[in-house]
Amino acid sequence: MNWKFSGTRALLLGGTCELALTLASFMIESSLFPILTYRNEEGQNVIKKALPHLEGKYDACCLDFGDRDSLDSLFSYIGDNLDFVVDFAQGNYESLIAQADGDDVHRYFSENVSFRAEILKMAGRVMLKKRKGRLVFISSTAAPRPNPGQGFYAAAKLASEALYRNMGLELGKRGITTVVLRPGYVDAGRGREYLQEQDGKILEAVPIKRAITRNEIAETILFLLSDSAAGMNATEITMDGGLSYRKGK
Amino acid sequence: MDTFTEIKKILVELLDLEGGEITPETFLIKELGAESIDLLELAVAINSHFKIAVKDEEIFLTRFRLYITEATQQGKDIVFYLASKYPFLTKERTAEIIAHISEGPQLKIKDLISYITCQLQEV
Repeated sequence: MNWKFSGTRALLLGGTCELALTLASFMIESSLFPILTYRNEEGQNVIKKALPHLEGKYDACCLDFGDRDSLDSLFSYIGDNLDFVVDFAQGNYESLIAQADGDDVHRYFSENVSFRAEILKMAGRVMLKKRKGRLVFISSTAAPRPNPGQGFYAAAKLASEALYRNMGLELGKRGITTVVLRPGYVDAGRGREYLQEQDGKILEAVPIKRAITRNEIAETILFLLSDSAAGMNATEITMDGGLSYRKGK
Repeated sequence: MDTFTEIKKILVELLDLEGGEITPETFLIKELGAESIDLLELAVAINSHFKIAVKDEEIFLTRFRLYITEATQQGKDIVFYLASKYPFLTKERTAEIIAHISEGPQLKIKDLISYITCQLQEV
Protein backbone atom coordinates (compact mmCIF):
# COMPACT_ATOMS: atom_id res chain seq x y z
CA MET A 1 0.00 0.00 0.00
CA ASN A 2 1.38 3.36 -1.00
CA TRP A 3 -1.21 5.77 0.28
CA LYS A 4 -0.07 9.33 0.92
CA PHE A 5 -1.01 10.75 4.31
CA SER A 6 -1.20 14.37 5.47
CA GLY A 7 0.10 13.75 8.96
CA THR A 8 1.40 10.99 11.16
CA ARG A 9 -0.19 10.97 14.60
CA ALA A 10 -3.41 8.98 14.89
CA LEU A 11 -5.56 8.56 17.97
CA LEU A 12 -7.19 5.11 18.03
CA LEU A 13 -10.13 5.19 20.45
CA GLY A 14 -11.02 1.76 21.80
CA GLY A 15 -7.45 0.75 21.03
CA THR A 16 -7.63 -2.67 22.65
CA CYS A 17 -10.04 -4.28 20.19
CA GLU A 18 -8.72 -6.65 17.55
CA LEU A 19 -9.51 -4.27 14.67
CA ALA A 20 -7.70 -1.37 16.33
CA LEU A 21 -4.65 -3.51 17.02
CA THR A 22 -4.59 -4.74 13.42
CA LEU A 23 -4.90 -1.17 12.17
CA ALA A 24 -2.12 -0.06 14.53
CA SER A 25 0.32 -2.58 13.07
CA PHE A 26 -0.63 -1.53 9.51
CA MET A 27 -0.16 2.10 10.50
CA ILE A 28 3.29 1.43 11.89
CA GLU A 29 4.21 -0.27 8.60
CA SER A 30 3.00 2.88 6.81
CA SER A 31 5.15 5.11 9.06
CA LEU A 32 2.16 6.48 10.95
CA PHE A 33 2.24 6.83 14.74
CA PRO A 34 -0.81 5.30 16.43
CA ILE A 35 -1.84 6.32 19.95
CA LEU A 36 -4.10 3.58 21.29
CA THR A 37 -6.45 4.17 24.19
CA TYR A 38 -7.18 1.57 26.84
CA ARG A 39 -9.57 1.59 29.75
CA ASN A 40 -7.64 -0.36 32.38
CA GLU A 41 -4.41 -2.22 33.08
CA GLU A 42 -5.71 -5.34 31.38
CA GLY A 43 -6.24 -3.34 28.19
CA GLN A 44 -2.77 -1.85 28.47
CA ASN A 45 -1.30 -5.36 28.59
CA VAL A 46 -3.38 -6.48 25.60
CA ILE A 47 -1.81 -3.68 23.54
CA LYS A 48 1.73 -4.51 24.71
CA LYS A 49 1.24 -8.16 23.85
CA ALA A 50 -0.29 -7.47 20.43
CA LEU A 51 2.44 -5.07 19.31
CA PRO A 52 5.69 -6.73 20.49
CA HIS A 53 9.09 -5.23 19.70
CA LEU A 54 7.52 -2.03 18.44
CA GLU A 55 8.24 0.24 21.40
CA GLY A 56 8.70 3.83 20.31
CA LYS A 57 6.61 3.30 17.20
CA TYR A 58 3.30 3.68 18.97
CA ASP A 59 1.97 4.88 22.29
CA ALA A 60 -0.86 3.84 24.56
CA CYS A 61 -2.88 6.11 26.86
CA CYS A 62 -5.65 5.54 29.35
CA LEU A 63 -9.08 6.87 28.41
CA ASP A 64 -12.10 5.81 30.39
CA PHE A 65 -15.28 6.85 28.57
CA GLY A 66 -17.22 8.81 31.14
CA ASP A 67 -14.15 10.01 33.07
CA ARG A 68 -13.37 13.61 32.13
CA ASP A 69 -10.08 13.60 34.02
CA SER A 70 -8.77 10.82 31.79
CA LEU A 71 -9.91 12.84 28.75
CA ASP A 72 -8.05 15.93 29.98
CA SER A 73 -4.91 13.84 30.61
CA LEU A 74 -5.12 12.31 27.15
CA PHE A 75 -5.34 15.69 25.45
CA SER A 76 -2.59 17.15 27.65
CA TYR A 77 -0.40 14.38 26.31
CA ILE A 78 -1.56 14.94 22.71
CA GLY A 79 -0.97 18.71 22.90
CA ASP A 80 -1.20 20.33 19.48
CA ASN A 81 -0.09 17.22 17.68
CA LEU A 82 -2.98 15.21 16.27
CA ASP A 83 -3.69 14.44 12.63
CA PHE A 84 -6.14 11.54 12.66
CA VAL A 85 -8.78 9.94 14.86
CA VAL A 86 -10.14 6.44 14.32
CA ASP A 87 -12.94 5.65 16.72
CA PHE A 88 -13.61 1.99 17.51
CA ALA A 89 -14.91 2.59 21.01
CA GLN A 90 -18.35 1.22 21.79
CA GLY A 91 -19.84 -0.16 24.96
CA ASN A 92 -22.01 -3.21 24.55
CA TYR A 93 -25.52 -3.09 25.93
CA GLU A 94 -28.19 -5.48 24.77
CA SER A 95 -31.71 -5.25 26.09
CA LEU A 96 -35.22 -5.09 24.81
CA ILE A 97 -36.36 -1.46 25.01
CA ALA A 98 -39.30 -2.33 27.23
CA GLN A 99 -37.01 -4.24 29.58
CA ALA A 100 -34.13 -1.80 29.97
CA ASP A 101 -33.04 -0.42 33.32
CA GLY A 102 -33.32 3.39 33.37
CA ASP A 103 -29.98 3.99 35.07
CA ASP A 104 -28.20 1.66 32.65
CA VAL A 105 -29.73 3.51 29.71
CA HIS A 106 -28.62 6.91 31.05
CA ARG A 107 -25.10 5.67 31.70
CA TYR A 108 -24.88 3.99 28.30
CA PHE A 109 -25.82 7.11 26.35
CA SER A 110 -23.72 9.32 28.58
CA GLU A 111 -20.62 7.21 27.92
CA ASN A 112 -21.25 6.32 24.29
CA VAL A 113 -22.77 9.53 22.92
CA SER A 114 -22.27 12.54 25.22
CA PHE A 115 -18.70 11.63 26.14
CA ARG A 116 -17.90 11.02 22.47
CA ALA A 117 -19.15 14.55 21.70
CA GLU A 118 -16.65 15.87 24.25
CA ILE A 119 -13.83 13.91 22.63
CA LEU A 120 -14.84 15.28 19.22
CA LYS A 121 -14.90 18.82 20.58
CA MET A 122 -11.37 18.48 21.93
CA ALA A 123 -10.00 16.73 18.85
CA GLY A 124 -11.67 19.30 16.58
CA ARG A 125 -10.13 22.20 18.50
CA VAL A 126 -6.65 20.66 18.29
CA MET A 127 -7.07 20.04 14.56
CA LEU A 128 -8.36 23.57 13.95
CA LYS A 129 -4.97 24.94 14.98
CA LYS A 130 -3.41 23.17 12.00
CA ARG A 131 -6.50 23.49 9.85
CA LYS A 132 -6.33 19.86 8.94
CA GLY A 133 -7.50 16.55 10.31
CA ARG A 134 -9.30 13.39 9.37
CA LEU A 135 -11.66 11.42 11.58
CA VAL A 136 -13.11 7.98 10.92
CA PHE A 137 -15.90 6.54 13.03
CA ILE A 138 -16.33 2.79 12.98
CA SER A 139 -20.04 2.14 13.12
CA SER A 140 -21.87 -1.01 12.10
CA THR A 141 -24.57 -2.22 9.71
CA ALA A 142 -26.49 -2.96 12.90
CA ALA A 143 -26.88 0.80 13.34
CA PRO A 144 -29.43 1.20 10.51
CA ARG A 145 -30.59 -2.46 10.68
CA PRO A 146 -30.51 -3.74 14.25
CA ASN A 147 -31.83 -7.03 15.57
CA PRO A 148 -34.20 -7.13 18.55
CA GLY A 149 -32.20 -6.25 21.66
CA GLN A 150 -29.82 -3.98 19.75
CA GLY A 151 -31.94 -0.83 19.99
CA PHE A 152 -29.65 1.01 22.39
CA TYR A 153 -26.53 -0.02 20.53
CA ALA A 154 -28.10 1.14 17.24
CA ALA A 155 -29.31 4.40 18.74
CA ALA A 156 -25.88 5.20 20.19
CA LYS A 157 -24.16 4.32 16.91
CA LEU A 158 -26.57 6.42 14.82
CA ALA A 159 -26.24 9.36 17.22
CA SER A 160 -22.46 9.09 17.08
CA GLU A 161 -22.56 8.84 13.29
CA ALA A 162 -24.55 12.09 13.25
CA LEU A 163 -21.93 13.79 15.44
CA TYR A 164 -19.14 12.73 13.11
CA ARG A 165 -21.04 13.69 9.96
CA ASN A 166 -21.85 17.12 11.35
CA MET A 167 -18.26 17.68 12.34
CA GLY A 168 -17.30 17.16 8.69
CA LEU A 169 -20.10 19.49 7.66
CA GLU A 170 -19.06 22.21 10.08
CA LEU A 171 -15.28 22.04 9.81
CA GLY A 172 -14.83 20.76 6.26
CA LYS A 173 -13.92 24.20 5.00
CA ARG A 174 -11.15 24.30 7.58
CA GLY A 175 -9.63 21.07 6.28
CA ILE A 176 -11.15 18.77 8.91
CA THR A 177 -13.21 15.98 7.41
CA THR A 178 -14.99 12.87 8.64
CA VAL A 179 -16.25 9.58 7.34
CA VAL A 180 -18.22 6.74 8.90
CA LEU A 181 -17.47 3.12 8.10
CA ARG A 182 -20.22 0.55 8.67
CA PRO A 183 -18.79 -2.96 8.61
CA GLY A 184 -21.15 -5.94 8.45
CA TYR A 185 -20.21 -9.39 9.79
CA VAL A 186 -16.53 -9.22 10.68
CA ASP A 187 -14.32 -12.14 11.59
CA ALA A 188 -12.90 -10.42 14.66
CA GLY A 189 -13.84 -9.68 18.27
CA ARG A 190 -17.56 -9.75 19.09
CA GLY A 191 -18.38 -10.42 15.43
CA ARG A 192 -16.38 -13.64 15.47
CA GLU A 193 -18.10 -14.79 18.66
CA TYR A 194 -21.48 -14.16 17.04
CA LEU A 195 -20.53 -15.99 13.86
CA GLN A 196 -19.33 -18.96 15.90
CA GLU A 197 -22.59 -19.01 17.84
CA GLN A 198 -24.49 -19.10 14.54
CA ASP A 199 -22.19 -21.84 13.27
CA GLY A 200 -21.48 -19.86 10.09
CA LYS A 201 -25.05 -20.32 8.79
CA ILE A 202 -25.70 -16.62 8.88
CA LEU A 203 -23.07 -16.06 6.22
CA GLU A 204 -25.25 -17.88 3.67
CA ALA A 205 -27.23 -14.66 3.36
CA VAL A 206 -24.14 -12.59 2.55
CA PRO A 207 -23.70 -12.32 -1.24
CA ILE A 208 -19.92 -12.86 -0.99
CA LYS A 209 -20.58 -15.88 1.32
CA ARG A 210 -18.03 -14.93 3.91
CA ALA A 211 -17.31 -12.48 6.71
CA ILE A 212 -15.19 -9.38 6.20
CA THR A 213 -11.67 -9.92 7.50
CA ARG A 214 -9.94 -7.66 9.99
CA ASN A 215 -7.19 -6.99 7.45
CA GLU A 216 -9.77 -5.77 4.92
CA ILE A 217 -11.20 -3.40 7.52
CA ALA A 218 -7.76 -2.09 8.50
CA GLU A 219 -6.73 -1.56 4.87
CA THR A 220 -9.97 0.27 4.14
CA ILE A 221 -9.48 2.54 7.14
CA LEU A 222 -5.95 3.33 5.99
CA PHE A 223 -7.34 4.27 2.59
CA LEU A 224 -10.02 6.44 4.24
CA LEU A 225 -7.29 8.25 6.18
CA SER A 226 -5.22 8.82 3.05
CA ASP A 227 -5.22 11.92 0.86
CA SER A 228 -6.85 9.84 -1.91
CA ALA A 229 -10.07 9.58 0.13
CA ALA A 230 -10.25 13.24 1.18
CA GLY A 231 -13.26 13.85 -1.06
CA MET A 232 -15.35 11.52 1.09
CA ASN A 233 -16.67 13.77 3.82
CA ALA A 234 -19.65 13.74 6.18
CA THR A 235 -20.87 10.46 4.79
CA GLU A 236 -20.99 6.75 5.57
CA ILE A 237 -19.68 3.74 3.72
CA THR A 238 -21.06 0.25 4.11
CA MET A 239 -18.69 -2.70 3.97
CA ASP A 240 -20.81 -5.81 4.39
CA GLY A 241 -20.26 -7.97 1.34
CA GLY A 242 -23.59 -6.80 -0.06
CA LEU A 243 -25.82 -8.04 2.79
CA SER A 244 -27.69 -4.78 3.41
CA TYR A 245 -28.82 -4.52 -0.20
CA ARG A 246 -30.42 -7.94 -0.11
CA LYS A 247 -34.16 -8.33 0.30
CA GLY A 248 -35.15 -10.23 3.43
CA LYS A 249 -32.84 -12.54 5.36
CA MET B 1 3.14 43.35 22.45
CA ASP B 2 -0.10 44.44 24.17
CA THR B 3 -3.26 42.34 24.17
CA PHE B 4 -5.00 44.47 21.53
CA THR B 5 -2.09 44.19 19.10
CA GLU B 6 -1.95 40.43 19.62
CA ILE B 7 -5.71 40.03 19.11
CA LYS B 8 -5.52 42.20 16.01
CA LYS B 9 -2.75 40.02 14.61
CA ILE B 10 -4.83 36.88 15.21
CA LEU B 11 -7.93 38.41 13.58
CA VAL B 12 -6.03 39.67 10.54
CA GLU B 13 -4.81 36.14 9.94
CA LEU B 14 -8.07 34.34 10.69
CA LEU B 15 -10.42 36.68 8.85
CA ASP B 16 -7.99 37.59 6.10
CA LEU B 17 -8.20 41.33 6.87
CA GLU B 18 -5.89 44.27 6.23
CA GLY B 19 -5.76 45.26 9.90
CA GLY B 20 -6.11 49.00 9.47
CA GLU B 21 -9.84 48.87 10.13
CA ILE B 22 -9.55 47.14 13.51
CA THR B 23 -9.72 49.16 16.73
CA PRO B 24 -10.86 48.16 20.23
CA GLU B 25 -14.27 49.67 19.34
CA THR B 26 -14.73 47.49 16.24
CA PHE B 27 -17.71 45.14 16.27
CA LEU B 28 -16.51 41.60 15.69
CA ILE B 29 -19.64 40.23 14.05
CA LYS B 30 -21.42 43.35 12.79
CA GLU B 31 -18.39 45.00 11.19
CA LEU B 32 -15.79 42.30 10.61
CA GLY B 33 -18.40 39.73 9.57
CA ALA B 34 -17.09 36.94 11.80
CA GLU B 35 -19.20 33.78 11.44
CA SER B 36 -19.66 30.99 13.99
CA ILE B 37 -16.76 28.95 12.60
CA ASP B 38 -14.53 32.08 12.75
CA LEU B 39 -15.47 32.54 16.42
CA LEU B 40 -14.63 28.90 17.09
CA GLU B 41 -11.21 29.36 15.49
CA LEU B 42 -10.72 32.59 17.38
CA ALA B 43 -11.46 30.84 20.69
CA VAL B 44 -8.95 28.12 19.82
CA ALA B 45 -6.34 30.73 18.81
CA ILE B 46 -6.85 32.76 22.01
CA ASN B 47 -6.56 29.62 24.12
CA SER B 48 -3.39 28.61 22.32
CA HIS B 49 -1.79 32.08 22.16
CA PHE B 50 -2.53 33.35 25.67
CA LYS B 51 -2.52 29.91 27.38
CA ILE B 52 -5.84 30.59 29.07
CA ALA B 53 -9.03 28.58 29.36
CA VAL B 54 -11.67 29.98 27.01
CA LYS B 55 -15.38 29.40 27.46
CA ASP B 56 -16.86 30.25 24.06
CA GLU B 57 -20.29 31.23 25.39
CA GLU B 58 -18.69 33.65 27.86
CA ILE B 59 -16.11 35.38 25.70
CA PHE B 60 -18.56 35.81 22.80
CA LEU B 61 -21.48 36.86 25.03
CA THR B 62 -23.53 34.12 23.37
CA ARG B 63 -26.23 34.00 26.07
CA PHE B 64 -26.47 37.73 26.62
CA ARG B 65 -30.04 38.05 25.30
CA LEU B 66 -31.11 34.93 27.16
CA TYR B 67 -29.81 36.38 30.44
CA ILE B 68 -31.73 39.62 29.84
CA THR B 69 -34.90 37.55 29.47
CA GLU B 70 -34.06 35.51 32.59
CA ALA B 71 -33.43 38.63 34.66
CA THR B 72 -36.67 40.21 33.42
CA GLN B 73 -38.71 37.07 34.16
CA GLN B 74 -37.21 36.78 37.64
CA GLY B 75 -37.73 40.51 38.36
CA LYS B 76 -34.00 41.05 38.90
CA ASP B 77 -31.88 44.10 38.10
CA ILE B 78 -30.71 43.34 34.55
CA VAL B 79 -27.30 45.03 34.77
CA PHE B 80 -26.55 43.43 38.12
CA TYR B 81 -27.67 40.01 36.83
CA LEU B 82 -25.54 40.27 33.68
CA ALA B 83 -22.56 41.49 35.68
CA SER B 84 -22.72 38.24 37.65
CA LYS B 85 -22.66 36.26 34.39
CA TYR B 86 -19.94 38.33 32.72
CA PRO B 87 -17.65 39.51 35.54
CA PHE B 88 -15.02 40.60 33.02
CA LEU B 89 -17.27 43.38 31.68
CA THR B 90 -17.62 46.68 33.53
CA LYS B 91 -21.12 47.71 34.58
CA GLU B 92 -20.89 50.64 32.14
CA ARG B 93 -20.05 48.35 29.27
CA THR B 94 -22.84 45.92 30.23
CA ALA B 95 -25.35 48.81 30.30
CA GLU B 96 -24.07 50.00 26.92
CA ILE B 97 -24.61 46.58 25.36
CA ILE B 98 -28.13 46.35 26.82
CA ALA B 99 -28.98 49.79 25.44
CA HIS B 100 -27.96 48.81 21.91
CA ILE B 101 -28.87 45.11 21.88
CA SER B 102 -31.68 45.62 19.36
CA GLU B 103 -29.12 46.90 16.82
CA GLY B 104 -27.50 43.48 16.34
CA PRO B 105 -24.56 41.64 17.91
CA GLN B 106 -22.73 44.07 20.20
CA LEU B 107 -19.51 42.12 20.75
CA LYS B 108 -16.50 44.40 20.34
CA ILE B 109 -12.78 43.71 20.24
CA LYS B 110 -12.44 45.46 23.61
CA ASP B 111 -14.74 42.81 25.16
CA LEU B 112 -12.32 40.09 24.06
CA ILE B 113 -9.48 42.11 25.59
CA SER B 114 -11.42 42.39 28.87
CA TYR B 115 -12.02 38.62 28.93
CA ILE B 116 -8.38 37.80 28.23
CA THR B 117 -7.12 40.32 30.79
CA CYS B 118 -9.46 38.88 33.40
CA GLN B 119 -8.41 35.29 32.64
CA LEU B 120 -4.71 36.20 32.69
CA GLN B 121 -5.15 37.75 36.14
CA GLU B 122 -6.73 34.52 37.39
CA VAL B 123 -3.80 32.52 36.03
